[in-house]
Amino acid sequence: MNSQLNNTNESHARAESLIAKERVEGISPAEQEWLTVHLRECGQCSASVEATQQALRSLLSLQVTAPRGLAARTQFRVRLRAQEMRSVRQPRWRLVYLMCGASWVAGAATAPYVWRGLEWIGHRAGLPDLVWKMGFGVWWALPAIIAAAILFAESAGTNAARIDLNRNL
Amino acid sequence: MADDRKTLIQGLRQRDPELLDRLIEEYQHRLYRYLVYLTSDAARAEDFFQETWIRVLERGHQYDGRHKFEAWLFTIARNLVIDWQRQKKAISLDSMVDPDEEGRPIDLPDEKAESPLQVYLQGESEQRVQASLDRLPVPYREVLLLRFREEMQLDEIARIQSTPISTVKSRLYRGLEALKGLLAGGAA
Repeated sequence: MNSQLNNTNESHARAESLIAKERVEGISPAEQEWLTVHLRECGQCSASVEATQQALRSLLSLQVTAPRGLAARTQFRVRLRAQEMRSVRQPRWRLVYLMCGASWVAGAATAPYVWRGLEWIGHRAGLPDLVWKMGFGVWWALPAIIAAAILFAESAGTNAARIDLNRNL
Repeated sequence: MADDRKTLIQGLRQRDPELLDRLIEEYQHRLYRYLVYLTSDAARAEDFFQETWIRVLERGHQYDGRHKFEAWLFTIARNLVIDWQRQKKAISLDSMVDPDEEGRPIDLPDEKAESPLQVYLQGESEQRVQASLDRLPVPYREVLLLRFREEMQLDEIARIQSTPISTVKSRLYRGLEALKGLLAGGAA
């Protein structure tokens, strides 16, 4: 008698678990078959299926739609922000590209003269070769240092703009 | 499908205004609904809705197309809400309402009090459902929405919530059970 009761309870528990599992992650064909047979015979578990379906129907029945005009307002804000970002970024980037290009051209064209000039200064001043050669290295690195400074200023400007935007929200 | 995603990635990277307009139109109801469910506050949801799209504009280059766009979009929205919750209460959205994992009591709203979600969702036949949903802890409400309304896969939900799939499953089971109980007039 007791073992029969235990079996029934176990069947109900298994059915309950499969009812939920079926919705959440799906069940195997064998489990589906077992559940179908059990539900055919068990009113209590059939009621549980109905309660689950009712809960999900209720969840789906709620109509929540975006208020009219929200999309348009958002589109406007997004376009405005995009414009803001472009106006902050483009001129500085253009400047960086221009400077890089110009510095490479000028650097390549003047390298022999700069080398000879620095060599002459170095000898006149009695400097060791290493010093005036290092001066030549700095001459080449100068455009990169300037470009890095501009990029740093650019990134600081963007962060400031982002903080302003967040404050306004 | 792959071409669509490629176009999407490119458009987001270039901050294509036409593409963004189209996406806002397309996802407006789903995103707004998700935010209302998360915040229980229509006005707040509108703010987050706009802020989410600003983030999409600013961080569009981070979308790599490996996962669905809506999952990425919902993750951005969720992170904004979590930041807000942290600022507001100095605790996270999850820890606030996940009693089984955190061992904290659920801070359920007063059943009789009219919440912003109830005010927003009008209509007499829906009121019982609204009240039940409103009493459901946020992570449960969120997974139920994502799974059954948005029809997302478990791994997508896990990605959005930054939790293991096992946690998503357990939240779904508990949420479903709690919703059934609430609709039947019992306690969650």
